[in-house]
Order: sequence, then structure tokens, then C-alpha cells
Amino acid sequence: MIEQDLKQLQERSIYIMREAKEKFGNVAALWSMGKDSTAMLALARKAFLGKVPFPIIHIDNGIDFPETYKFRQELAKKWKLDLIVAESEIKPELSGYSCCGENKTIALKKLMKERGFDALIVSIRRDEHGIRAKERYMSPRNRDFKWNYKEQPAELWNDYSSKLDDKGHIRVHPLLDWNEIDIWNFTKREKVPINPLYKSKNGYRYRSLGCTHCTSPVKSNAKGIDGIINELRSTKTEERAGRDQDKEKEYVMEKLRALGYM
Amino acid sequence: MLITRVTLLGNKDHGKSTLIGSMLMLTKSVTKERIAEAERTSKALGRKFEPGFILDSFSEEREGGLTIDTTRVQVKHKGAAFELIDVPGHEELIQNMISGASYAGFAILIISAMENEGITQQTKRHLFLAKMLGVTRVIIAVNKMDAIGYSRKAFDDIKEEMLRFLGRIGFDRDSVSFIPVSAYNYDNILARSKRMPWYTGEPLMQSMLQFSKQREKDGKSLRISVQGSIESGNGTLVTGKVISGKVSKGDTVASFPEGRSFRIESIYVKGRQKPSAGKGDDIAIKPGSGPVSRRGSIICSGRQKPLVSDRLSGTVFFVREPAGKASIRYNGIELAADIIVHKVIDIATGGSLQKNSEIVLNAAKASITSRKKFAFEKFNEYPELGRFTLYSNGTFAGIGIID
Repeated sequence: MIEQDLKQLQERSIYIMREAKEKFGNVAALWSMGKDSTAMLALARKAFLGKVPFPIIHIDNGIDFPETYKFRQELAKKWKLDLIVAESEIKPELSGYSCCGENKTIALKKLMKERGFDALIVSIRRDEHGIRAKERYMSPRNRDFKWNYKEQPAELWNDYSSKLDDKGHIRVHPLLDWNEIDIWNFTKREKVPINPLYKSKNGYRYRSLGCTHCTSPVKSNAKGIDGIINELRSTKTEERAGRDQDKEKEYVMEKLRALGYM
Repeated sequence: MLITRVTLLGNKDHGKSTLIGSMLMLTKSVTKERIAEAERTSKALGRKFEPGFILDSFSEEREGGLTIDTTRVQVKHKGAAFELIDVPGHEELIQNMISGASYAGFAILIISAMENEGITQQTKRHLFLAKMLGVTRVIIAVNKMDAIGYSRKAFDDIKEEMLRFLGRIGFDRDSVSFIPVSAYNYDNILARSKRMPWYTGEPLMQSMLQFSKQREKDGKSLRISVQGSIESGNGTLVTGKVISGKVSKGDTVASFPEGRSFRIESIYVKGRQKPSAGKGDDIAIKPGSGPVSRRGSIICSGRQKPLVSDRLSGTVFFVREPAGKASIRYNGIELAADIIVHKVIDIATGGSLQKNSEIVLNAAKASITSRKKFAFEKFNEYPELGRFTLYSNGTFAGIGIID
């Protein structure tokens, strides 16, 4: 896994978030309390000199880990976040693809409509999945949240696309260029708080965090960030190996994203 | 570690995705899950292992065997890191190709050596566009050498024709290298192939290493592209990116098109106060006299000012027929504009065509007039401030550079 220059990465993320704030009237960001969206918040604090100037949304299906809820509460207070918790339903018969696809997306759609957000900052990274590598820094979604990946807008140099079409919104991806290990190098250097579930306990840790239903831990003895970074330097497995969602079928991520999943 | 961004250009089916896939395999830069996934898909489609499937992730891309949108992947080789940008080679997808190639430091152009493929109009168009996008160095990989019995003559013929073309569109001979490869058989990718003893040059990845070491120099005066403003505890700050030169606290600078000078009271880089900032920094500055710069302004220092006018001459490339209301997007702002084409340039020869020739997918010399004055620079002086995008009725219609 390639460790990139943190200065360059930060500059681009800061530029993109400022650009979102310049171009769109009503910006919000998604926060899962995972390492990526928490790093995004730390970058927003740099871009806007100490404060996060937009509302932060947690789509809460009620089955996240207790550690995650505690982390949410503590950091929201410390960083004075304008936190919106949008509750999503859990249907016991749904799992994996249908669970993430339907429940979370429905809750997000409802909230977006109520609050009229026209841009949504989402902390996806290109190295997570082949489909995510096809995203633009600013990607339009139509009113049904559909991603028209066949006709993505031109995105040249620093001219990031995208007019809003009727009642759609723009997904803003400030972390698109970052690799998993870059997030950890940044977290370490900037002392960004992290969810304790990423650290090893009884020989296991979470490498990618979803909800309690479809995330499983990986074998690891990394008790701190240095340990995690060392582990990633030699790994040959995918970050999302512990996420059931990706395994079901080859093209499941494509479907999820076309349906509006993050 | 700094990453060099490399775009893969060339006609569809000439092997861009396969070449990237083979570089990923040879440098072991890909996880076993992705290899397994590409293996399963190849098998399901009844083909031999296709390294290109590591890149082409959309179902339609795999089943249809073509790249629809750009993808970027990273490879490491001998202490250097590359981000490989795979762009579609299909003519209809030229807009996606331009988007991908605009981020590149240098390009690899792929030409299939097979008799019915060879140098095409699309090959030349990609190279012409690369030049417009600011790519000055190119490695030309002549691919599918395995399919033509590793013939030296076929390679030499392509090289000769391409050298003539490159000269005509203004590429420097020393910034171009030619390598015969087979992406399927990994010939001349990581190591020199025994199947082409007549080729004594470097293998592809060695050549990439050389190219990545050449860094662009920044000897120009200060230019800050103004992004907008933010509110902070320290009042309203002007945000922007330093395009060239250096700026320090206490400097007196001037903003255009406003034509007003001010003193810089404080500079913030990545959220912290700094005494100075340089090329590439995204900054926030506190102007002494209250904010005068707006989004689209250019801040400079010294005597060399940017151009300020409502009219410019440029070279443009249309991806679709301009119709209705035309506008240009430049340096963060959109300007309604009248675009008058003076002559159309034949991409294949670099020569000029009749005024009424097809302008779509050809280059043209044009003059552009906007409703109001704005600040800009010439492409050959400040490439990052010398380019614009063309829109027609709000839809992307092409790109241009300021002559």
C-alpha cells in the first residue's frame, strides 16, 4: 500500500471542501464515526480555521456498536459539531445489500428532502473498491439519488463540475485520493481521536467499521496506531474483507452506488 | 512519498487496461481479492485471464470489453510511486478521456502494432489533446508485439510515422521515447524481453522511473488564484491557491481585475498561521485593507501583472457542436461569451482546414469575447492559469488554452 505525501493530500481535500462551501448553498457531511469521516472532520477544521461550518449527519440504524455511540457523543461535544441523527429502520429480514441499500438510503433521502441539502460531503476513498475509483471529486446524483456513471460530468484541472439538476444533489468526495494508510498516518500526526474498535482486543480489531450486523473483526495484535500502520505496510488483503456487503456478488457495489448508497 | 500521475492514452482495444493490469500484477501492487475477482470474471466470460478486468469494474465494461470511465490505480517501482490513470479510448467517451488526462504529469500512449489497428485518428487526437492539457512528456508503447511475431520492422514503421507527427504538433524529440511491448505476455514491461533482442532500450517501467525524476521548475513570479472567502475568528479571509512564486506576511500584493493593492496581515496554511506560503499551498489570507479580491481574481506582486481584458485569443477543442448560449469557465468563474472560430486545424497534419470544416473533435483557433473584463494569463507562461473549459447551454462542450 502506497503512503502518499500528506501535504499534497491535505491541500486537495481542503480545496475541495472550500469549493463545496463556495459553490453550494446548503452543504452537509455524513459521519459514521469511522476513521475516514472523522479524518474528514479534522480536515474541515483546518480548511475553515477551527470550526466545522456545516451540519454533520449520522444515519443511525440503532445497531451500531456501543463504543461508536460513545465516540459520537464525546467528539460532537469536543468539536462543537452541529450533529443531526437521522434514524433509519431495521427490518430483521434484510441483511447486507438490501439492508444498507434500502434502510440507510431511505433515511438519508428523507432527511435530505426535509432539510434541502444540495451538497453532501462523503468520505469515500478510491482505493476502497474498483467502483469507488470511478467517482469524481464532485459527483451529481439525481432526485432519486441515482448515479449516472455513464455520463459523469467533465472534471478538469480544478474545475469541479457540476451544476445541480432539478432537485438532485452533489456528492462531494474530499478524501477520494487518500489511501487507507494515509488516513492512519494523518490520524497519528494530527492526533485525531479514533473509535476504540479499530484497536486490537483479544487478538482482533475492526479494520473497516459498519454496524453490528454485517461487520466482523480481523485478526490483529495492533494495539495502537503505530501497530495499525505497520500491519497495513505488509497486508495483501482488502480493507473491506470484514464487510459482508461486498462479498455477495461481483457487482453489488455498483448497484449500491447507483441506488444512492455511500 | 510523492506520486507521479501518468495517463494511458490511445485508441480503444489497443490495450490500455491490459497494460495497466500487467503493471499491477508484475509489481505486486494489487490485492489477492482483486486478482481473484478478475480471474472469476474472466472464467465466467469464458476467456483466458484478462489483467484489464482489475481495472474495468463496471459490469458493462467487463462484458463489453471497453473502459467507460477513468480509473486510477497506484503502483510502486524501485522507490518511485505512480498513479496510473486509465481513460476510455472510445471516440464517444472523449470527455471522460480529457477529464482523466488533465491530471497527468506525463503520458503513456499505446499503439497496437497489429496491421488492422496501428496508428489511428484517435491516436493522434489523444496526443494533440495531451499537448493542450499540458502534458509535455510521452512514452509511446507499441503493444501486441506478440501478435505480429515481434517484428522489428512493424515497430520501426510506427516509430517513424509518429516522430513525424510529434514534430508537427510541437513535441520535443527528447521528451518522447518508444518501447515495443506485449501487455499480455509481460514483454518489456518490468524487464527487457528475450523475445525482442533487437530492442536495446529500457523496459517500460524503467523509462517511467526516468520520466518521474524530471520535476517541473517554478521560477515564476507570484500568482494566487482566488477561490473565495471564509469567515473566521480573525474576520473575513480571502482563500486561494498559490499557483507560482512565494508570498509572505507583510508583502504588498495587487489583485486583478480590481487593480487594487493591499498588504497581507496574516497567512494561514492548513489551518495554521505561517510566515509565508509557496506553490501548491491552499491559503487563507487576511488583507490589511479589507477584502478586495473575489472568486476569479488573480493576486500578484511586482511589475508583471496578469492580463485584464474582455477578449482573448485561444486554441479550442470542441467535443460537441456548440449550440445556443456559450460560456467559458475560467479560474473558478463562469463567463457568458461569444466564440468566433477563425480557422479549423487538421489534427492529423497540424495544418489548417477550411473555415467551415467540421469543428467537433478537431482543434480550432478562436477569439472569445465576454461581457465583462477578467484577469487571465497565457498558457505558455502560466499553464494552470492559461486554460479554460467551454460550455454550451450549460453542457460541457470542450476545452481551450489562451494563446
